[in-house]
Amino acid sequence: MPKQNRIAELDRAIDALLARRAAPGRAARAASGAGGVAALAKLAAALREMPREDFRRRLQSELERSATMAATSAHAVTPQRPEATRTSATPALSFINAAAAIEFYKRAFGATENFRLTEPGGKLGHAEIRIGEAQIFLADEYPEYGFRSAETIGATPVKLNLSVPDVDAFVRRAVAEGARLIRPPKDEFYGERSGEIKDPFGYSWLVSTPIEHVTIEEVERRFNAFFEKPSAAADAAPHVNFIREGFHTVTPYLAVIEAEKLYDFVQQAFAAKGSYGGVGSAGGFHGEYRIGDSMLMIGGGLNFKGPEKIGALHLYLPDVDATYERALAAGATSLSPPADRPYGNREAGVRDASGNHWYIGRHIGEEFNPEGWPTVQPCLHPLRAEPVIRFLVNAFGAEELRRHATPQGVVQHAVIRIGTSTIEIGEAHGPYQPLPAMFYLYVPDADAAYTRALAAGATSVHEPADQPYGDRTAAVTDAFGNTWYVGTHIRDVHG
Amino acid sequence: MKAPEHEADERLLIEAAQRDPKRFAGLYERNFDRVYGYVARRVGDRDVAQDLTAEVFHHALASITRFEWRGVPFAAWLMRIAANAISDRWQRLRREHGNPVPEEPAYISLDDVEMRARLYQLVRCLPAEQRRVLLARFVEQKSIREIAEDLRKSEGAIKQLQFRALTNLRERMSEFDA
Repeated sequence: MPKQNRIAELDRAIDALLARRAAPGRAARAASGAGGVAALAKLAAALREMPREDFRRRLQSELERSATMAATSAHAVTPQRPEATRTSATPALSFINAAAAIEFYKRAFGATENFRLTEPGGKLGHAEIRIGEAQIFLADEYPEYGFRSAETIGATPVKLNLSVPDVDAFVRRAVAEGARLIRPPKDEFYGERSGEIKDPFGYSWLVSTPIEHVTIEEVERRFNAFFEKPSAAADAAPHVNFIREGFHTVTPYLAVIEAEKLYDFVQQAFAAKGSYGGVGSAGGFHGEYRIGDSMLMIGGGLNFKGPEKIGALHLYLPDVDATYERALAAGATSLSPPADRPYGNREAGVRDASGNHWYIGRHIGEEFNPEGWPTVQPCLHPLRAEPVIRFLVNAFGAEELRRHATPQGVVQHAVIRIGTSTIEIGEAHGPYQPLPAMFYLYVPDADAAYTRALAAGATSVHEPADQPYGDRTAAVTDAFGNTWYVGTHIRDVHG
Repeated sequence: MKAPEHEADERLLIEAAQRDPKRFAGLYERNFDRVYGYVARRVGDRDVAQDLTAEVFHHALASITRFEWRGVPFAAWLMRIAANAISDRWQRLRREHGNPVPEEPAYISLDDVEMRARLYQLVRCLPAEQRRVLLARFVEQKSIREIAEDLRKSEGAIKQLQFRALTNLRERMSEFDA
């Protein structure tokens, strides 16, 4: 294009920009790309807001005047002290992808972005958003400075408390946009309606709206009331133990398609006593069997949709060899024939037709079970024991009783206690690989345990609900593939 | 985010200004274009941008003793003051007008801000005639004919100066990009 034409074309584009007839992008496109006129029009768009010629110098003189006055008055009147300032705390959150987090907070929390500073390489060094009046700093993670994200760490020890005008609406929107509901909003004794959500980046948010003005004294009074003895009215209600009659805290729950075969097997091999015939929550059979002092739940059947839940169970019985022979006769395959083990037990192992592992052991001595452990002890074979133990401690208040590890740190055997039960853990090796197990756990408060389990990293299967069999039960899965029913027995159901 | 020596310089300037507010000029010089560029990009209006930029620097000067070095660039602190000033302004407008004022998108890329900072700085370095034409055209919003009359030149000559000014800016911007 001849230069003369380009000069005229640029002028037309500038005319349009100045008349605000064209958005900058449109003006640039309208100017033909040829001869770089489009690029010039783009610069022209930014020139529309350029400052007046004298503005920069004028502001500088103003500032110099203020600075002189400030310095003079500061020296003349008072010793120099920092001005009174409102103390505030601003969370600085770290993310694998902070830009994605900003988009999420905009959509889910109605956040507005103040600005962001992006490194030339594209890494987000610092950004600031506001949720209402609340300010939040965000950045991509910088492991070299110890700034790691909740996603990388796998947990967050800090919860962010967000006070909003309408907690229900806020939580609804956040959940619709992908936040996980940890605790739905409910009126709390401290005068707020409060709920909890977890964002997709692993941060927990307590969200609340004030509903009444409560003095601190009143909050204390209400808080203390929780710990006082139950009222006469509560005493009048029939008392039921939160653990169903005959059960321990933890009951292994095997769910297999060939459930009936498994019923036969546990009866023949381990002299289990019990019955099946109930219908489980997944539509299959539900059977309950007793072996020694422990209960075992077996569900499934041909209508069972799966996935199957199988486990490894340690049985403490008086006669290892005879039990082993009976198990093989009932259709099991051998994992290890009976032998005396250096840790003081005679042990054997079998696998049943559904894939469950049964470890049959007794202490070599007068008493076959000197520690008084339950007859049936679940075993877990995780790839690494540490995170599983941490989860069980955080989620269910488990207590680690013992741990044997090789000098290399491989956990060969650990025992943890939950309530009245013990669970054994041995890191996966050889044929002892992780199995997708399921457990029924009796707790004093299923709702609280459910919340704790989610906070410890579990995923909800279903929220707490009263069940026709007399328990209030929720279900979660942990990060290692195990399913946990958490139930509180609330009434006895007969018949 | 920044070269360390740049950071060290900036830190010295901040400490000097904290000891003696009259030394604030160094920080102002260094950050004026960036703050103005950011505010202008967000509000899209020169008068408003000038008011807000003045507000930001007055506020920064008054609070400089409260600035604590935590490795976040001083510009980030200024931009936060700016962002809050903009947000306060929108809220005031909304209150005063009773109806929602459409809020512009808050997301501004830093490249965009740096581009403007550089551009406004380069305008100051243009040959006098070219600069005068740009100021008359973009700030005073004069037509080509009015400018031609003021400067006693032909309209064609003014258009040519305008073209040359932008071409100059474009070239120097690309030096910067490279």
